[in-house]
Amino acid sequence: MKKRIIILLLCGLFLLLQGCTDKIKTKNVSLTVQETMTIAEENVEAEEREESDFETSYPVVVTDQLGRQVIIEEEPQTIVSGYYISTSLLIALGQEEKLVGVENNPEKRPIYQKCAPHIMNLPQVGTVKELDLEQCALLQPDLIILPFKLKDTAESLEQLGINVLYIKPESKKLLEQATALLGIVTNSNEQVEKLQSMILEKTKEMQDLVEKSERPTVYITGNSNFLTTAGCEMYQHSLIETAGGENVAKELNDFSWAEISYEQLLAWNPEYIILAADAKFDIETVLKDENLAGCKAVKNGNVYQMPSNIESWDSPIPGSMLGSLWLANVLHSDVYDVSRYESAVEEFYGEFYGL
Amino acid sequence: MEIVKRTKKIQYIIVIILILGVCFFLSLSAGKFPLHVPDLFRGDETALSVFWTLRFPRSCMAVIAGFGLGVVGIVYQTIFQNPLAAPDIIGVSAGACGGAAFGILFCAGGTVGVTLCAFAGSVIAVISALGLSMVVRGKSHLSIVLSGLAVQSLAQTVLMMLKLMADPEKELAAIEYWIMGSLNAITAKDIMFPIGVTAICMMILICLYRQIFLLSLHEDEATLLGVSVGILRLVILLLATLVVAAIVSVTGVIGFVGLVAPHCARLLLKNLCVETLVLSGLIGSVLLLVADILARTVAKSELPVSVFTSLIGVPFLVWLMVRKEKN
Repeated sequence: MKKRIIILLLCGLFLLLQGCTDKIKTKNVSLTVQETMTIAEENVEAEEREESDFETSYPVVVTDQLGRQVIIEEEPQTIVSGYYISTSLLIALGQEEKLVGVENNPEKRPIYQKCAPHIMNLPQVGTVKELDLEQCALLQPDLIILPFKLKDTAESLEQLGINVLYIKPESKKLLEQATALLGIVTNSNEQVEKLQSMILEKTKEMQDLVEKSERPTVYITGNSNFLTTAGCEMYQHSLIETAGGENVAKELNDFSWAEISYEQLLAWNPEYIILAADAKFDIETVLKDENLAGCKAVKNGNVYQMPSNIESWDSPIPGSMLGSLWLANVLHSDVYDVSRYESAVEEFYGEFYGL
Repeated sequence: MEIVKRTKKIQYIIVIILILGVCFFLSLSAGKFPLHVPDLFRGDETALSVFWTLRFPRSCMAVIAGFGLGVVGIVYQTIFQNPLAAPDIIGVSAGACGGAAFGILFCAGGTVGVTLCAFAGSVIAVISALGLSMVVRGKSHLSIVLSGLAVQSLAQTVLMMLKLMADPEKELAAIEYWIMGSLNAITAKDIMFPIGVTAICMMILICLYRQIFLLSLHEDEATLLGVSVGILRLVILLLATLVVAAIVSVTGVIGFVGLVAPHCARLLLKNLCVETLVLSGLIGSVLLLVADILARTVAKSELPVSVFTSLIGVPFLVWLMVRKEKN
């Protein structure tokens, strides 16, 4: 009797294991952003894992980065992106052909010209400050992705029968969540996984090399004014810290670019000054500024500008990982060679942007 | 009308000068860079550089700008016979904002380029307003106000268009911050021009104080007293506006000083006299100095100075008004 019970239990256990294996092989699930993040994190941290193919099952309920629950009935075939970050993300996820409208002034982004030139001719729907609702009504996209600052437009767009998702990629973590969110709604989860794996791999490789080096102090400027900088709540802060530097402005907790004075900068006395990718002033102007004569970075000529010939890597876009790698090469060229950074650039843009 | 004796007027002025002295000393002591007096006497290069190129010029600019705005405020309120008249009534601030926005968007000269564009914008606005008023029949001070309103509206429209063109991620924030006014970027190089213009124009305005007060009379009365109302008004307004243009082009728009300081001076001295002009200027200096000290010390980053000029100025004005009622 006991033996029969044990045999029955073993059979039951075997059947259970068989069912679970089948489930893992093909998973058609409806996932929330949080669940996807959890799964994505587990997959990345695991040393060995099975190959899995996540297909989004429509209709899918997602939570955007303003906490709004949005039901996506079917895979969107036409998308409007009102934010340069979501446009760049969609290109990286291979969704650029679905774009029917983009943010204003796409000609300012070299990446579009290089890998998706048709974007230049698409209708423009607005900026982070204002949205052209009539243009959106005309385009009638299946989905519109907007920056969180345009949150007041949600009701109007829903009345027009347009699904809208808001993203708020204000930090590294939030950028990862935004990436996962767009991956779910566009059914490109596999691409999301590849993207996040590469970002993690390259960043970890760099951090392993620089972790034993001393962390130099870094001051990063804003775009239009040398005396604006990023505090601890800004994305640029994490860019510096990831690259093995110490942000001199980390004590500031402004949620946007903070104004400082020359006195403040001289008090911080950074070892490196990094100009924003799209700064209106150049390295020469900073080096010749008499008010900065006492600053360590200026004395030693350690003033650099973030590259911008492909994308502006100091903003929260997928390629900003390369901004950290570039900065790590600037701060720790003895341990993080320029060839590593250059090969990472080639690999990243080759894989995700077709360059 | 109660007349304040001359000795009491002088006492008020001396007290305000003493308060100004204390505030100036506090301003020299306050800042993000740890300046110590022994370092200065020891000849520490960095400390001396910070003191003479940053801290001292910034404090001087606050004194001069406050004085200029205070005197100009009382001049405007007298000429326009309007207690709510402020230095930007004929569009000088709006013109400066438009010019600064243009400079931020299109000029590669950094702060120098922005300053020049702001000054040019304010001068163009004022000349347009005064020129337009001369075309209008009647030539009363109301025609200048109306012309100023028209130019102000036009300048604000230009500013709106420039803001629309500005990149929201980059230039727009810089324009908004400039409009709010700050002394954070003031260095020794920046103060020469505004101090020079302000000093010369102030001297002329104070010398013309009798003529300014005569303009507070009805136009017919002033004419009967031998005053060439039209020309005098234009000259005085031009001088006053040059002061505002020179200040605003460097500091951005600083609100409330030109409105509050004259009222405080009048409430203390009760009537219009040369002492009222000077006292208004001194109160303006104290107000702007204290506001600037707070703007650079209250938070970890620099805050716009206009926030504090109103926070301090308005309660002080209310206190004076309540005190006057009680007396």
